[in-house]
Amino acid sequence: MKAPARSLLAALIASFGLASPALAQKAEVIHWWTSGGESAAVKQLAEAYTKAGGQWVDNAIAGGDNARAAALNRIAGGNPPTASQFNTSKQYHELIEAGLLNNVDEVAAKEGWEQWMPTPIKNVIKVQGHYYAVPVNIHSAAWFWYSKAVLAKAGVTEPKTEAEFWTALDKIKASGQIGFAQSGTLSYERATFTAVLLHMGGRDLYMKFYGDKDINAVKSPEFRTVLEKFKKLRTYADPGVAGRNWNDTTALLVTDKAGFQTVGDWAKGEFLSAGKTAGKEFGCFAGWGPKAPYMVSGDVFVLPKTSNKEAIAAQQLMAKVITSPATQVAFNAKKGSIPIRPDVDASGMDICAQAGVTALKDPARQTPDPSMLMAPDLFGKVADVITKVWNTDLKPEDAQTQLVAAIGAK
Amino acid sequence: MRTGPSAVLGRSEAADAPPRGAASASKRGGPKTAWAAHTALLPMGATVLIAYVASILWTLRISLSNSKMLPRNDWAGVAQYVNLFESDRWLTALANIGLFGLVFIAGAVVLGFLLAVFIDQKVRLEGVFRTIYLYSFSISFVACGVIWQWMFNPTLGIQRSLRSWGWESARFDWIATQDMAIYCVVIAVLWHSAGLVMAILLAGLRGIDDELWKAARIEGVPRWRYYLNIVLPQLGPSLGTAVVLLAVSVVKLFDAVVAMTNGGPGDATDVPTKFIIDNLFERQNIGLASAASVTMLVTVVIIVAPMVYARSRANAAAGRA
Amino acid sequence: MTIAASPGNTLSPRPRRAFFTPARLGVYFFLVSAALFFLLPLYVMGITSIKPMTEIREGNIFALPLAITFEPWAQAWSSACTGLECNGISVGFWNSVRILIPSLVLSVLLGSINGYALAYWRVKWAGWFFGVLMLGAFIPYPVMLYPLVRMFASVNMFQSIPNIVLIHTFFGMPIMTLLFRNYYSSLPIELFKAARIDGGSFWRIYFQLMLPMSLPIFVVALILQTTGIWNDFLLGLIFAGRENYPMTVQLNNIINSTQGEKLYNVNMAATLLASMVPLVVYFVSGRWFVRGIAAGAVKG
Repeated sequence: MKAPARSLLAALIASFGLASPALAQKAEVIHWWTSGGESAAVKQLAEAYTKAGGQWVDNAIAGGDNARAAALNRIAGGNPPTASQFNTSKQYHELIEAGLLNNVDEVAAKEGWEQWMPTPIKNVIKVQGHYYAVPVNIHSAAWFWYSKAVLAKAGVTEPKTEAEFWTALDKIKASGQIGFAQSGTLSYERATFTAVLLHMGGRDLYMKFYGDKDINAVKSPEFRTVLEKFKKLRTYADPGVAGRNWNDTTALLVTDKAGFQTVGDWAKGEFLSAGKTAGKEFGCFAGWGPKAPYMVSGDVFVLPKTSNKEAIAAQQLMAKVITSPATQVAFNAKKGSIPIRPDVDASGMDICAQAGVTALKDPARQTPDPSMLMAPDLFGKVADVITKVWNTDLKPEDAQTQLVAAIGAK
Repeated sequence: MRTGPSAVLGRSEAADAPPRGAASASKRGGPKTAWAAHTALLPMGATVLIAYVASILWTLRISLSNSKMLPRNDWAGVAQYVNLFESDRWLTALANIGLFGLVFIAGAVVLGFLLAVFIDQKVRLEGVFRTIYLYSFSISFVACGVIWQWMFNPTLGIQRSLRSWGWESARFDWIATQDMAIYCVVIAVLWHSAGLVMAILLAGLRGIDDELWKAARIEGVPRWRYYLNIVLPQLGPSLGTAVVLLAVSVVKLFDAVVAMTNGGPGDATDVPTKFIIDNLFERQNIGLASAASVTMLVTVVIIVAPMVYARSRANAAAGRA
Repeated sequence: MTIAASPGNTLSPRPRRAFFTPARLGVYFFLVSAALFFLLPLYVMGITSIKPMTEIREGNIFALPLAITFEPWAQAWSSACTGLECNGISVGFWNSVRILIPSLVLSVLLGSINGYALAYWRVKWAGWFFGVLMLGAFIPYPVMLYPLVRMFASVNMFQSIPNIVLIHTFFGMPIMTLLFRNYYSSLPIELFKAARIDGGSFWRIYFQLMLPMSLPIFVVALILQTTGIWNDFLLGLIFAGRENYPMTVQLNNIINSTQGEKLYNVNMAATLLASMVPLVVYFVSGRWFVRGIAAGAVKG
């Protein structure tokens, strides 16, 4: 790192009283936002940062695992980036425990995070009384999306209850269309199961499983019903499920070939880039009823530990800029997610995002995403069992047994 | 001129090998001339110690700890190994790679050998054919996986095309079935790597003297016999190289599986390296990943050691070091 | 059986009509069928890369394009977004070259020296070390990342071109050594013995006898290493440093973006562009796949 030499130089220049432009705080940022839409969003952050006097050095690496591996190895090699993206989850907690992150208490205090940050987010960025991550957005994973054309052809409208949902699926299937579009990948099979658990099993059962790892909850008949409903969804899916990406799956809705899909609000971008409008060609709902639980997840930037004064200044500036209202609005509009601040103007957002903002306002509805509750390891083991439920004839009782074993293992 | 079969994996035994003794000693450098050999091999020595031994020891150490995302200095005994073998997914991955390995290596050797032999028949446009068979090796495993996934996908690929061309009830959804998905991976990786086997065997073929064929012809040996009984044994070292290369890509099979099926459907195409890498990165459990790596290494040693032992016995018997 | 058609027969000129014997046709039939199998995916990649996205979304992957466009190729090379930068994969091209050449030279050279030493010279510890080396070939790279990162960091080399060149040399050594050792072992021992009797030293024999005879195997080594190094992603990502990212990093950013529409045509074009260098190497190397270099030396 050339920073020590640079600060010496700066000091020398300053000591001569020569007019020099304030050295821009250079921030090298590792992130995985590489698609067209995501890049447009990151650009908002970079521009805001530059306007505030900083210099954004972009280090984009596609694939969350790749980006995080690169960041971790940089930290291990003593050459950490200024900031690095993680999900709002437990992914970076070991870094905190190992003392490898700088905190942002200063910015948090100034911006009043304690007062307005949604609790699920606060719980994973505030550890042992200190704030260790800068949240960028709020995504929500357990949304339902549907193609209006497909539903119309089957003679149904947006289901307002779970019962109506199953009826709608039946009618769509009867009309010869694909009822439920599923992405046959591990994490999306688990995501569908999570949505079923949350919206059909209820928030309590969801929290007992993911949050408390309660074995009795897993063994309960209610949990078994959830597994059965999950398996039942398979009967409405098409044969091309295996290995299909989530965005190819959403494409089925965009092209009016399938009725429903459950996937996060990042799917909105697929509809938008095909020129569809929320409420016109496609619809969305995050559960049923005004008290439906709203899952909260998102992305954060962590700031690897460094004693380099310039880097620290850059980090603090980044934290301030990213969480400022203007940046929040600009970024999230492009990203398809929701700002973390409640004090921003929601009128420019589409109806799905507005529904999300409304849901967030009610603390009782805010529900942590599973990755905020479960360590990545155990979360992965859950996926291993769920994928077998979806793909093989593994019986729900056996799945329950296997899940209990996974929770129990150290 | 060489005749007779060569030993497995390395040496060719000449029927007219010189007697042991003075001739062998002068073949091998005596003690004073061996220094050049020692120094020449220093980079290999350094690489082994620095890159490999250190990493293997470190991995072993981590496998005995509770390390999650970052290495931890604690001791967990054999807990990680117990976890490993209680994991359904790991056992399935092992079974999958065993099946894959057998089918793939056999297939690649046969296909590569046939391609090399047929190309060796002084065909026209040999360069074109050779490049066609070899170019697939230049495509990354990721791209290979994506393309074959498309082609195998029943709603996008071959099945759909067959149906749209009139064969209504055509079924080719192997990739979506538990039992057959692994064979789709075999086909994709065969497509990728058979050309390399061909190249290696061709290089070996080209090193075989033409006189041998002339002599065989005089004896009245038919061409296919010549290849099977005379050429094939002479290709021992080349085959050995090819098999080892194939075995390495079997053990390290990862990118193609991820791109094609991501281990699915379910865990039908899960493989040990995917298990390891998932635990290294996404699942933040390097203790378990290390235990899995050590297990794979031990398995390789167990399989390879008898072969190496047999070869060194054969070499010793033939009077070589 | 089919001696009349044997191409190895140089004693009498081959009669023209022998060309159409069943055996000959059989040979060509096999070769052409195999060629179709190998070309099918290339065909799909190729036509996908020149179709507009609308056709890809709606259509059949084997269908010929209705409207041909080379936009995706231009995009892939120079304007596809790989993060904030939208300069395609051309950005990393020279980095990849800068990484490839030294790594290639070093790994192939060391492999051939190692192979020669192992095949012909008695060095007591070499056998065991070679065994460990071969064992190391079976370890997936990510397992070895952390210790190597720490090691290179401790000598201040972490994330630089020398770093990635050494890494490629380390990881290439097992296969390269095996390749050359097996090849040299299969050469007639008389050549070496004769050279020794003539008073040849280790290095003289290597340069004057072994190297000239190794052309076919050098070609194979070249193919293997060029492919492996050029297509490498993870090692370049971790060890090269952000300014030196190889082309595969941009390629990964184009192909593997987690969200947003996958532009399959651009992805395919990018993949084909990225595989051009190894492909050219394969094509050019063909002329050295000639018969008789080693065999010719044995005569007489």
